Amino acid sequence: MQSKETLYEIKDLVVEYHTRYGVVNAVDHVSFDIYRGEVLGLVGESGCGKSTLGKALMRMIEAPGEIAAGELILNGVDLLGLTPKEMRDVRGSQISMIFQDPMTSLNPVQRIQDHLTETISTHEPDAEKPTMLQRVKRLIERLGIQTQRLDDYPHQLSGGMRQRVMIGLGLVLNANLIIADEATTSLDVIVEAKLADQLMEIKEEFGISILAITHNIALVAQLADRLAVMYAGRIVEIGSVYEVFDDPKHPYTRGLLQSVPSIKLDDHEDLYKMAGEPPDLTNPPSGCRFHPRCPEAMPICSQEKPTLQEISPGRSVHCWLYEDHPEKEPLVSENS
Amino acid sequence: MKSPDSKQSTPISTKPILEEDIGLLRRFFRGRIWYGTEWYITVVGGLILFFITIMTISAPWISPHDPNEFVGAPFVAPGGGPQILISLTDEQEIIDTMQISNLVIGVHRNRSGDKYADTIGAEKIRYQSQNELIAGLEAGEINYILIDEDLEEELQFQIPSMMVIARDLGLRFPLGTDNLGRDMVSRIIWGARTVLSVAILSALLSSSIGVTLGLISGFVSGPLDRVISLVMDSIYSFPGLLLAIAMVAMLGPGMINVAVAVSVIYIPTFFRVVRGQVLSIKEELYVEAARSLGAKARSILWSYIFPNVIPSIVVVFSINIADAILTEAGLSFIGLGLPPDIPDWGYDLSKGHSFLVAGHWWLITYPGFMITLVATGFTLLGEGLSEILNPRLVKN
Repeated sequence: MQSKETLYEIKDLVVEYHTRYGVVNAVDHVSFDIYRGEVLGLVGESGCGKSTLGKALMRMIEAPGEIAAGELILNGVDLLGLTPKEMRDVRGSQISMIFQDPMTSLNPVQRIQDHLTETISTHEPDAEKPTMLQRVKRLIERLGIQTQRLDDYPHQLSGGMRQRVMIGLGLVLNANLIIADEATTSLDVIVEAKLADQLMEIKEEFGISILAITHNIALVAQLADRLAVMYAGRIVEIGSVYEVFDDPKHPYTRGLLQSVPSIKLDDHEDLYKMAGEPPDLTNPPSGCRFHPRCPEAMPICSQEKPTLQEISPGRSVHCWLYEDHPEKEPLVSENS
Repeated sequence: MKSPDSKQSTPISTKPILEEDIGLLRRFFRGRIWYGTEWYITVVGGLILFFITIMTISAPWISPHDPNEFVGAPFVAPGGGPQILISLTDEQEIIDTMQISNLVIGVHRNRSGDKYADTIGAEKIRYQSQNELIAGLEAGEINYILIDEDLEEELQFQIPSMMVIARDLGLRFPLGTDNLGRDMVSRIIWGARTVLSVAILSALLSSSIGVTLGLISGFVSGPLDRVISLVMDSIYSFPGLLLAIAMVAMLGPGMINVAVAVSVIYIPTFFRVVRGQVLSIKEELYVEAARSLGAKARSILWSYIFPNVIPSIVVVFSINIADAILTEAGLSFIGLGLPPDIPDWGYDLSKGHSFLVAGHWWLITYPGFMITLVATGFTLLGEGLSEILNPRLVKN
């Protein structure tokens, strides 16, 4: 990694949903940094809080949810201290988001061109129409969409094109950070690969950072510089993508990587299935939230919550295996 | 207009069409499907409304009679109306109209025959029953009697010696006359004015209020939504006509007041449809995407939610117009609506139904048909327009 200039600093972020069954801690004391010009992959099971985290980074959590605590420092400004109007200005111009389903993320009754020009004019009320059109055309061509398609309605475009338009919406105001929430999940593999390539090119060209939220681990391996693994609202492991893949530290990461299906034909071993179910977040397990499913659980795991320990530069793990505690003793000894 | 076919066959030579070269209308309709399977729906709906509108505007010129004047006999069947002149004379002389003048003609309760008697200058005896007229004829007090054409056979049987001297006298009513002898054609033509003004005015009023409230209520939600919904539901719980009666009783009669009263009933219909749609649309991904790009609440409501609600509004609007006509008719029927001298299909319909049992079907058939026609016109046009204006159906 080159210079590690921090773009977005997330400190102790807590997102709570107030449901009739109680408070759900969808994101629980999460801290990490997003550096300038990097791709950070965020992986985890469904329902582990990935998307909530993504939305929280844009301060777009809606009632009954709320950001209960933490700091979101983007370019030195705490987003949580901004007024709604200032926050609106940040959205789109500094952070923007690409959503999971490109089929429904564009307004069906608006032409592509209007989507783009409206985004510009929202943030730059003085922009003149011809200059806006010029910008839009240049960008759209850069994204590999013919300029004639600007007059089309979203349903006339293919899924990949629509997703590129969404990326264009994020880029048209030179946002620094694009949060891609499962952006490629609903596309077929070929389009997905193309889009991933394009995202990388754009990243290089525009110098943006991308937070790629996905459960497609293969894609993350290709795209990301760093990888964060999330489990039950907490980040359990974060580190450079090579290190995490080569030597997963957290038992959950290990299980997750083993669960990835392989296309090798001679590989007849069964796919690894992680024991147990993701926890119910209204009533999460005590201590480490992974301990009921953990193959290496120790007594301390159910009692105390581990902290995110930096075990080597740029590599942190949230696990008692790598943290010392006076009461820590391995469970393995009891069994044997 | 951009031709999609030429784009595919000759991709190189396609000259891009510049925005500023296209006229406003063509830009609006560019790429819309006009030649799909359902184009005729719009055209038929449009033609019906065009026809009604022309009728409304030109009513003073095309209407044969004053709609409030008792021009003919009551209950003249459609196509009927002409009189025949009967005498008892055995003389075979041919009598022309000149010779009749200064003779006595019996007129059977009939304005049309009355007028005819006036034009030929005969002395007339009016307002006598048929039997009295016949008795007078037999006694020689009356030289001739004018009776309805329909009664000819009956009379022939009663007085075999009678002779028809002239036929086709007086007026003919293509759609018959009502119970007071008013011409149905004229009433239909003039009634279109009332219907169009009251029904459209009330539909416009209720849609603009209902849609606005629905948009705000669905979008803002929270306590405001609760309050507005509560008010709307309480309006909705009233029987429509009852509420209209109360409103008119408060406002007093008159066209505008009736329109306001009728519109109040239909505000909740628009409100509920729009609110429900807004509630579901605002959860759509594209609304969230717009918010993630920093769009203002106002622009989300206006350019993301509202255009997606329009198709439902159009449909409710056309149904509402048809319903408003009937409600207005109900008001007129109980005397709270329009003054009786304003011709009105709804009034004719509600008043005429009591004569259906007596076999006078034309009193309600024609006004009913016209109401159906106008409602159909609005429905078809609305349906067709919502198809054409829906960008999702733009030709690919």
